[in-house]
Amino acid sequence: MLTSSHLQELWSYRDLIIRLAWSDFKLRYKSSALGFFWSLLDPLLMLLVLYVVFTNLMRIQVEHYQLFLLLGIILWNFLDRGTSMSTWSIIGKPGLVQKVYFPRDILVISTCITALMMTALEFVVFVIFMAVFRVMPGMTIVYFPILFMFEFLIILGLSMALSALNVYFRDVQFIWRLIVQVGFFATPILYPLTIFPEKIRWIVMLNPMAQIITMMRDCTLYRSSPEPSNLAYVAVSTLVVILLGYFIFDRLEPKFAEAI
Amino acid sequence: MAVQVEHLWKTFPIPHERRTTLFENLVGMMRPNHYETFTVLKDVSFEVEEGECIGIIGDNGSGKSTLLKIIANILRPTKGAVRVRGKMTPFLELGVGFQPDLTVRENVGVYATVMGLSRKKIREITDDVIKFAGLEKFEDTKLKNLSSGMQVRLAFSTAIQTEPDVLLVDEVLAVGDMEFQQKCFDVFNRYRKEGVTILFVSHDLGAVRRFCDRTLLLGAGEQRAFGETGKVLDRYVYGRSESGNSSDDSNKGQCGSNRWGNKKVIITDVEFLDKFGIKCTRFSSMDPMTVRIHYHAVEDISDITFGIAIHSDDGHHLFGTNTKIKNIPLRVLSGDGCIDLKIEHIPMLSGKFLLSPAAQSLDYQITYDWIDKQYSFEVIPTSGDAGLIAMSCGWVT
Repeated sequence: MLTSSHLQELWSYRDLIIRLAWSDFKLRYKSSALGFFWSLLDPLLMLLVLYVVFTNLMRIQVEHYQLFLLLGIILWNFLDRGTSMSTWSIIGKPGLVQKVYFPRDILVISTCITALMMTALEFVVFVIFMAVFRVMPGMTIVYFPILFMFEFLIILGLSMALSALNVYFRDVQFIWRLIVQVGFFATPILYPLTIFPEKIRWIVMLNPMAQIITMMRDCTLYRSSPEPSNLAYVAVSTLVVILLGYFIFDRLEPKFAEAI
Repeated sequence: MAVQVEHLWKTFPIPHERRTTLFENLVGMMRPNHYETFTVLKDVSFEVEEGECIGIIGDNGSGKSTLLKIIANILRPTKGAVRVRGKMTPFLELGVGFQPDLTVRENVGVYATVMGLSRKKIREITDDVIKFAGLEKFEDTKLKNLSSGMQVRLAFSTAIQTEPDVLLVDEVLAVGDMEFQQKCFDVFNRYRKEGVTILFVSHDLGAVRRFCDRTLLLGAGEQRAFGETGKVLDRYVYGRSESGNSSDDSNKGQCGSNRWGNKKVIITDVEFLDKFGIKCTRFSSMDPMTVRIHYHAVEDISDITFGIAIHSDDGHHLFGTNTKIKNIPLRVLSGDGCIDLKIEHIPMLSGKFLLSPAAQSLDYQITYDWIDKQYSFEVIPTSGDAGLIAMSCGWVT
């Protein structure tokens, strides 16, 4: 469980976590000549398609819609990528599980950090876009790292559960892909929350990702601070997700080496 | 106490039907899945003092590797407990975490980190490691473009940079050529001198005899013996003559072109006896051995010599002798009897050897019975010497 002694142990393994994350990151871009530009192409293409569709056909009226959309896509991609990569973080490394010992959550943490590095690259593009469209963030940008950390921890919590479950049930990865796809449309990424009738908005906002994305847009693009109650809700749900993730992981972890 | 193992049990469940997906599990909820359990370790307990080198031996499937993995914390015991004091490094496989698509230099970094080296230390040693592996020219080559021998060298030279308190070694030495094995032994000697506690799983009994202070013998998951290496090895090598002989019996059945003679004297059996006078087919190099030939003389006969020939596994004739050459007069034979050939020191180092017993007339014109290469025994090395034969010798300086 997430005890202080376990956190200390993780800290003593920080070199390993970083080294695994960094070598994984390098591997992903090494084989292609254009390197990470390919990975930037993916969200940019998606942005282009969605932007054309939603501004012309659906007639969505949102200020800075390009940035609104790009930020949503990047944040959702982070969740998508982190959790999908993590479903393989245990079963994809049998050597490290069966032949050496270190706390196994290191494999999941380092995978999530790899996803974080990839997302950081996409943020470089986002910053360029902001400059192009002459949108300057205000003081409210201070909430950005806090919210981003919450998202990272939610991804980590989900990844813990998914990576462990996928060792025993190999179809978890496919089921999870479906959930992520449904989630993409159920979360206010393409559209603002205001397209829903006022009465049912709270249902949509039960989803902590909807909260995080909305608040991050507010603080980055619209210079408005998040409601303390919303922030508290996100904090609590992050805590629940990460504890639940670790609980499932710890239950399944002892037999990883046998079941892999 | 460096390592303490207390009443350790390990069982693996073997389900009749392996369900690996959620779907299979949901569908299978109607039908309960039956399990059989396979017990790999049964109540193993032992203690290792700091700085000791412990050998772990036993047949394949006796639970050696499982034991090592439990001590390494990779597998969890079903019952019992393991305590290890100090920093432990397992050498269960060389090159764990190697990425074929990264360069040699990057892989040294990854592997050294996996083996628990600090970043500072890695920066210091990387050049030495690559040099020691002889790969300076290939520093920035992708690992997948190296030969497997180069990869092993790289893994080894990285692994030996670790500074453990307790080292677990599983058959790593089995790979690689003689020179590489010698390098391995040099490193283990260095570790021993530094006072590192070593647990060493091996089939190479010669290596175990040279390195290990004490040895644990496992058989079918049970702790058969734990104690002074020489005694435990004797127990292992000689302690299973019964099983050894059954295979010998099966050999004997097939005669045909391997056996000829007029059958006036029939060689009924050949036994190999160890230094304790017990039948067996495995011997330690340089140990005494007695070859006992049982015969049945159909009619009284005096014109006879018994002989043997020893061939190596690949058919080279190594040795032959008979009673005539040794000037042993034989009395008139009648009925059943036996004759012993005493070998003071088995002059072979290792391998399987074939024995052909024969009974012939003194002028070798008549062969009574000749059973060609139908009996065999094995010799197990007790030292690190190389080659086929054992020579008692010593260096003088």
